[in-house]
Amino acid sequence: MDRRTFLTAAGATVAASFAGCAGLGGSGESGTGESGAGETATGETPTGTTTGDAGGDPTLVVGTYSALVDSPSTSPGAWLKERFESEFDARLVWQTPSNELNHYVERRTARVDIEADAYVGLNTDDLVRVDQILDDPLFAEAGDVAGRDDVKSGLQFDPQGRAIPYDTGYISLVFDGTSVTAPETFDGLLNEEFAGDLITPNPASTATGRAFLLHTVKQFGADGYLDYWSDLQDNDVRVLGSWSDAYSAWSGGEAPMVVSYSTDQVYAARNDADLQKHRIRFLNDQGYANPEGMAIFEGASNPDLAREFLGFVLRPAVQGEIAVRNVQFPATTTAELPEDYAELAHEPPEPVTFTYDELKGSVSGWVEDWERQYASN
Amino acid sequence: MADAIDGGTEGDDGAPADATTSGDRAHRDSRSLRGRLERRALVALAAATVGLLLVVFYYPVATVFVDSVLVEGRLTARVFFDILSDPFYFGEPARLLAGDSLVSVVEGLLSPDRRLGIVGFTAYQAALSTVASVALGLPAAYLLARFEFPGRRTLRSLTILPFVLPSIMVAVGFVATFGQNGTLNAVLGALGLGRVDLLFTLEAVVVAHAFYNAPLVARVTTAAWESVDASAVETARSLGASPLRAFRDVVAPQLVPSVLMGAALTFVFTFSTFPIVLALGGFQLATVEVFVYRLIRDLEYAEAAALALLELGISLGLLYAYLRYEARHTVRSRGIRPLARRPLVPPSPSPRDLLLRVGLAAYAVVALAVFVAPIASMLLASVSGPEGLTLAHYRFLVERQTAGASFQVRPWDAVRNSLLFGVASLAVALPMGVVVAVLTTRGYRGRKLVDAVAMAPLAVSGIVVGLGLLRGLVFGVEVGGTRLAVGGAVAIVAAHAVAGYPFVVRTVAPGLDGVDRTLVESARALGAPRVRALVDVELPLVWPAVVAGAAFAFAISVGEFSATVVLASGTSQFTMPVAIERFIGRRLGPATAMGVVLLVVTSVSFLLIDRLGGDDVGF
Repeated sequence: MDRRTFLTAAGATVAASFAGCAGLGGSGESGTGESGAGETATGETPTGTTTGDAGGDPTLVVGTYSALVDSPSTSPGAWLKERFESEFDARLVWQTPSNELNHYVERRTARVDIEADAYVGLNTDDLVRVDQILDDPLFAEAGDVAGRDDVKSGLQFDPQGRAIPYDTGYISLVFDGTSVTAPETFDGLLNEEFAGDLITPNPASTATGRAFLLHTVKQFGADGYLDYWSDLQDNDVRVLGSWSDAYSAWSGGEAPMVVSYSTDQVYAARNDADLQKHRIRFLNDQGYANPEGMAIFEGASNPDLAREFLGFVLRPAVQGEIAVRNVQFPATTTAELPEDYAELAHEPPEPVTFTYDELKGSVSGWVEDWERQYASN
Repeated sequence: MADAIDGGTEGDDGAPADATTSGDRAHRDSRSLRGRLERRALVALAAATVGLLLVVFYYPVATVFVDSVLVEGRLTARVFFDILSDPFYFGEPARLLAGDSLVSVVEGLLSPDRRLGIVGFTAYQAALSTVASVALGLPAAYLLARFEFPGRRTLRSLTILPFVLPSIMVAVGFVATFGQNGTLNAVLGALGLGRVDLLFTLEAVVVAHAFYNAPLVARVTTAAWESVDASAVETARSLGASPLRAFRDVVAPQLVPSVLMGAALTFVFTFSTFPIVLALGGFQLATVEVFVYRLIRDLEYAEAAALALLELGISLGLLYAYLRYEARHTVRSRGIRPLARRPLVPPSPSPRDLLLRVGLAAYAVVALAVFVAPIASMLLASVSGPEGLTLAHYRFLVERQTAGASFQVRPWDAVRNSLLFGVASLAVALPMGVVVAVLTTRGYRGRKLVDAVAMAPLAVSGIVVGLGLLRGLVFGVEVGGTRLAVGGAVAIVAAHAVAGYPFVVRTVAPGLDGVDRTLVESARALGAPRVRALVDVELPLVWPAVVAGAAFAFAISVGEFSATVVLASGTSQFTMPVAIERFIGRRLGPATAMGVVLLVVTSVSFLLIDRLGGDDVGF
């Protein structure tokens, strides 16, 4: 209760903006019940003491992928929820639909209310896909989000200003240094000595595998990547299903190299594993960046609170915490990371990635052509 | 529809069905409410079954399939034509539609570098998997049906276990058993034999499919073998037939329909295989379902739906062919006195006995490698850490239970949900299955078509079902300004029941078909309503089949994943397989620990189901 009194001013602000949104959303499709609650709260707010009790704290519903809130090692979900709730006098509800972002696309297509205000965990490729299929916008422009200018310019991936990156991973090779020394270049992977040595998750249906495929497109061009893959296939590359299929086969010693993330040693160190068995290789000194973004749903019932949340996530301390708990790299230049973080989490000398405009209209063709070549029976 | 079928039913039973007699009977029964209820019960059950199937299956699935013919608001066959004429999917025959001559297509098919296409390859691997499953399942059926040994009943109850194992667990078990550093190579190494490289091949996938499906073949065949009438065999023998001859002429004809049923179901299941192919084979072995998944993930619905429909058509076509065969080959008289089991260790072994035992021992070694070793490897993985044995993964489960947030999966909740949903969906699937079995074993034109369509839940792509349930049930339909939607526990139970009831039909229908019709007719003539004759006369005669169906229905519910995650209203409704999926991380310990929990819970459940079902029953 102390913190409520202390945060009276903030509470009033939130409640007011909440009511404002209710007014705007009144003609909209959803949430009349919630709007009512918001107005009641405002009505009784002048004293600033009953915000929480009268209408209940405002609720922010955030959709995400399940690993962000419920993974067996660490995930930032619980920490984010606790911190955000205590500071903003709001309730944060995580939603983790099994088909992730597509769940909301389905809702939009079927014209069913989207009960989430924001989504956390979309990448460039997702955004391209969503924009391609939907006539009605799924996400709104993020607008005035605190700390937005701190995001590294190379990571900004939405030209329309809806998605704001909150972290990034770099796809790299992870190899068992006790049995092999990974080649330094893409061409090196074609050497006979590495025959059957590389496992990768499926480029067609996993984010990790697709990033690796895109890296080969980046490297060899849209005209050349299929030839490279043909050679790779001749050298017995193993394309398995999920990231977990690939990583667990690699852990089990089925092959000494796997396509995964450059933060692998962070996990290895936590489990007291031999770091020599978890070495990182950036092929051609490049790492394909896979920034993860967050965005506010068009028609969200709490857009202002959602914007507060986005700003909260970009704060230096929160950025550092997310990076550590999600085992990725922060998206901002101001993140406060533990000093030893860089010892285990490796950043590539040269990050590369495709922009939204480059992927738009191309990525589905690249993937399909790859499938047709690789799985031709 | 139900009324019409019921009408056909009465006619077929030989019971007088003309208006006058029905009227008389109605008059008689109206005296008691119970009589009225019983008389309507079958019709009501049939109507409820059809209704449930429409709401929880056919309508949801249709919301996805419609995308294949309705593209941007216009009706078209273009998507189908494109797939059917694409050699990538349909191999050489696709060129026919593309305009190539029959001669060149046949030449292409005969040439060594012919293209099977994704669909052709999928059928090819399913056929191989079916052969392997039958080859591994039949000796097990022989052992379980014809020999007596300690633990036989327990073993038979547990043969259903592979059915409930999530593919990720099977993948873990197989890598640990057949991988480069797996148990098999360790054993071969210790024996001074060379190493084998089994993983990421078609062979590994086929063996994994046999792991799942050989037990199915074994269960249905065991049941058929146990209902062979001993006196028929004895008669043949007394007429001078050799044991082999008696087997060929008397026993085999009664087994073949069951073996074929197991084979048909295996083909259908492995034809729509998905995660296991990519986990143990690789993308070069991609099946139709792999593409359905990718296309739906990328929101390319038209092509995904058309592909899934073609996949369904092929599966249902095969099931239909089997059902036509089953209808012609039902064994009318079922055994009253089963064949006596022989002791596994004979008191005074003859050379023939010894040879048989050697064969069984060889089979036992193979079965240990294929079925037991992967499961044992899962157990081992659940207690292994970087520094040897550990209980850390189980501690994780306890911690998640006690300290997990509301949006995280709690292990005990998952166990409880699995059991609740399993029991509830069994209670729904049993009457559904029995009713459909009754309706499809009565004589009317096209009944096998009805039967095949009723089997569709077995054959529709799981990915399509998941998406359909989201669109059809979770989103619901708007009626007069309000949205009618279903979700949560009730919907999960309904979906599980729909997924499991075809097994009840398949196990119960052949038995019902074989029940002596005069028994039912006598009951009806004595004034018993149709449902009373069913409950008092027919079901007791086929009780083992009912229990077998119940076990399958329960197993399907416990193993179900895609409908559960879509319909659950929150993490609090997640089941054991969902918990396993959520616990997958860089280290597989937590997921395998949950997998072991699943193994233990389901083992106990199956032992209970078989025990509660009565003495010596079950498939």
